[in-house]
Amino acid sequence: MTDAAVPVTQSTVESFTARYLRSLGCQIDIRDNEWQVTIPEDVETDLPKGQHNLLCDTVKDPDETHDILNPESSFFQSVLDDASDRVPLGSIKVSTTDTDILVPDWLQESPVSVSDINFTPYYDRSALVILFQVSVETVSEYQQEFLRSIGIDTRSNEILPNLDETFLTLTQSEAATVTSDDFTVEPEQAERLVDVSREPLLSDMQPQIDEIHQEASRAADAELEEYRQLQRQREEEFETKITRLRSKIGELNESIENRNQTERVEALKERRECKSKLEEVETELKALRHHREQGYPDQQHEIRERHGLEVVVTPVTVTEVEYERGDAEFELTDGNSTASLTLGYGSGVGVTEEVDCDTCNQPLSRENQLRSLTNGIQCGSCGSQ
Amino acid sequence: MGDYDLVDIEVTHEDADEVGGRLVVDPPDEQHLHSIQAVRLQAGQPDSELRSLKQLDENSVKMLEHQVDAAYRALFEMDGKALLADEVGLGKTIEVGMILKEMHFRETNDSVLILTPAQLAKQWQAELREKFGLEFVCNYDNNFNGFDSHDYIIASIDTAKSNRYRQAVLRRDWDVLVLDEAHYVKNEETDRYELIDQLTYNYAFFLTATPIQNELTDLYNVVSLLRPGLFGTRDVFHQYFINSDQETLVNRNELQDRLNKVMIRNRREDTDVDFTERRVDTRKFDPSPAERELYQAVSDYVKGAYSQDQGQKLVLMLLQKEVVSSPEAFETTIRKRLDDQSELAQTEELESIIDLIENIDTVTKQERLLDIVEEARENVEKGRVVVFTQFRATQRRVAERLASEGYTVHSFHGGHSSQEKEEIIESFEEQGGILVSTDAMSEGRNAQFCNILVNWDLPWNPMRVEQRIGRIHRIGQKRQVYVFNMALKDTVEEYVLERLYHKIDLFQQSVGELSEILTRLEESGKSFEDEIFERLVNANSEVDLENDFDAMAVDLQEQRDLAEKLEEFNSGVFEGFDLGASDD
Repeated sequence: MTDAAVPVTQSTVESFTARYLRSLGCQIDIRDNEWQVTIPEDVETDLPKGQHNLLCDTVKDPDETHDILNPESSFFQSVLDDASDRVPLGSIKVSTTDTDILVPDWLQESPVSVSDINFTPYYDRSALVILFQVSVETVSEYQQEFLRSIGIDTRSNEILPNLDETFLTLTQSEAATVTSDDFTVEPEQAERLVDVSREPLLSDMQPQIDEIHQEASRAADAELEEYRQLQRQREEEFETKITRLRSKIGELNESIENRNQTERVEALKERRECKSKLEEVETELKALRHHREQGYPDQQHEIRERHGLEVVVTPVTVTEVEYERGDAEFELTDGNSTASLTLGYGSGVGVTEEVDCDTCNQPLSRENQLRSLTNGIQCGSCGSQ
Repeated sequence: MGDYDLVDIEVTHEDADEVGGRLVVDPPDEQHLHSIQAVRLQAGQPDSELRSLKQLDENSVKMLEHQVDAAYRALFEMDGKALLADEVGLGKTIEVGMILKEMHFRETNDSVLILTPAQLAKQWQAELREKFGLEFVCNYDNNFNGFDSHDYIIASIDTAKSNRYRQAVLRRDWDVLVLDEAHYVKNEETDRYELIDQLTYNYAFFLTATPIQNELTDLYNVVSLLRPGLFGTRDVFHQYFINSDQETLVNRNELQDRLNKVMIRNRREDTDVDFTERRVDTRKFDPSPAERELYQAVSDYVKGAYSQDQGQKLVLMLLQKEVVSSPEAFETTIRKRLDDQSELAQTEELESIIDLIENIDTVTKQERLLDIVEEARENVEKGRVVVFTQFRATQRRVAERLASEGYTVHSFHGGHSSQEKEEIIESFEEQGGILVSTDAMSEGRNAQFCNILVNWDLPWNPMRVEQRIGRIHRIGQKRQVYVFNMALKDTVEEYVLERLYHKIDLFQQSVGELSEILTRLEESGKSFEDEIFERLVNANSEVDLENDFDAMAVDLQEQRDLAEKLEEFNSGVFEGFDLGASDD
């Protein structure tokens, strides 16, 4: 799985916009930084028809008659929106002539060098490369969007880790041979393969999601703590109020004894009001304390729910990739000995079978490189002994 | 950190059948490729270069790599919420200037509020105008009509939190908030903290060289204002990052990871900021008997008048400053005062002062200036000299006298248009000679092609002095810089120079270091100029006066020591932290 996003430079913006508009049948007249674009009425597009005057990479505020064309400009965003969902299904062929032979991981940092490689293709296979948009949203962070590619063999459902990278490299080129209407995989099968890809995709993205998850959880916790403090403050205010009311009631009790009839009635009335207020405040305080003892379950629930992460996984393009399978013969040398290894291989996919150490039978890998050929194939642990 | 519960995650899978695209009959082959490329471009980060930098005039501001990096990271990697915590003297204001310029270019700054300590507000305004062409109104401007009447405001934080303005400040949704000397909001129980906490804004840039003032919790408070929740709750921060004796950080890697999301700290040793040597030569001269008599009479008058009416403080302060600058500077003010005066007793006193002015035949400083200029011309190649005075009348007199001696003289003051100011500096550079300038030049106009400066008189605000020196002693100055201070013996100038400025080593301080010292002083509610004036008029004897100034120097020294200690402490805490931008 590979990050499929590409940096949006001014030159990419200009080159993509020109190619896309021309492919739609628009006319573009370019004079230095100023483009005159005509989108004919009969072109099927959501872009506004008619004539547009575009200023590229401008440092001036444009007047009303011009639009800007730069990475953030609304014109360019409309072009991307229009292009992205136009033809999301298509196909591409990956042959050995388009790609370099991929050296397996276990040879990349090995003291054993490759003197020659020959690939003999036997048959064609097909795979899907799917671009997934993954958006992660929480209230405490800006929405984060990722674009990931994944390659999956249509027959074996095997994830092909190198194929999507090869695909991304090929499709970055303007000259890539991609077809738009040659998608032969049945819709149900394509849908099933997309579904099978989701789990490995998410597990590959787990570290990024975990990080956002931790941040959101911390933010929720901080908000909850603030709420607790606020409630504690309210309790203190109520406690002060209760003390004040009690002392007022005490004072009124005394004054009731010593006053004349009219004043006594007034004082009694006031005492009744105070007592009722006291009761009210005590009830509220009791409720606050009760909530605190319970740990504010409703609030906890509400805050945590609000800070919850929403991960949305959307397949955005699906490309059928036809690739070749066969055998690749690797001529190897470690300085003292030479060996020839014939391994299953796919164009754009790389070596498709595992190679074990002849001594310990452990598979060779990025972590366990081929060390020596002197006593057969020997891994890092065995070859150094 | 496992001290909190994790919130829930809800995963939604959108159906694959949505990937149908619009109904395009027989699409051209390249259109699937376009869809793939468009999707990838949509997911990519926009080309986030600082585009407005092309518009900046290199003569007005020289941007250093670390400053451009900081502005870039604050804007694009920190989503416009950043704590700029470079060490002192590395140009945090420039970084904010670049950020604001870029936001202005991208039209994301409809309303900007810059909060600073009171004495730095005007300086911010001048720097943003001169270096970045950004116009802000300051709360000390006559045309300031409140926080709801302007969109670009620089204000003292204490003005903003005052009862008069607080509601108006809080009522608005600000696009950008800039908080200078952010360590002054470290304490969550203060009105300042509450104000920042309650302000509504989309982007915020906080500046401080010392995020930690007293204890490590300060860092929590400042960062939490910018990015609430980044450190979780106060308790969790304490338990997880601070050891029990409250003095050192633990779990530094985790803290660094979190801080990297919000804080940028450049260290001097990692930058290419390098200044040439500065040599300071203070020359004190005996005033002539007539000058001495005038000084004494004016001082007595100021003292007497102030004891009767403290409301006239500003004009009396002005008189006390002018009398040591030149008789011309002083005479205009005293005559105006005489015209306004109704009381007979004072009229007589003022008349007699005017008589004393008329007794002065020779102005001592004038003669001594010729010595300095001649010396400079003989000893320094391309010995261009800038002479600074606070007063226009003095400027005229000095310029005329120098011209009469045959020197090429240029005059610079606030009355010139921007265009004229440019032309004056240009002809000074081309023709050489002497530039006689008021403090109007001390903001913004740079003359690093010149390396000799004369302080004809001395402002009572140390920041002004440094601003003067900063015109020539700045990045780009390749030669040693000579600063000559002129002072008359036994006058307030001598006290200010000897007792205050030399004690705090003012002439060797950078603007950043000075602002730290002065802001700390201001924290205790005192204005530097007021302090000087009060001491001058309230002393009962010469000895009292000396003691008073010594006490003020001790205060300053303490603030300076504190500022240095804090800087060292912060360096210690952040030592080993790689808080700069990563190359990969």
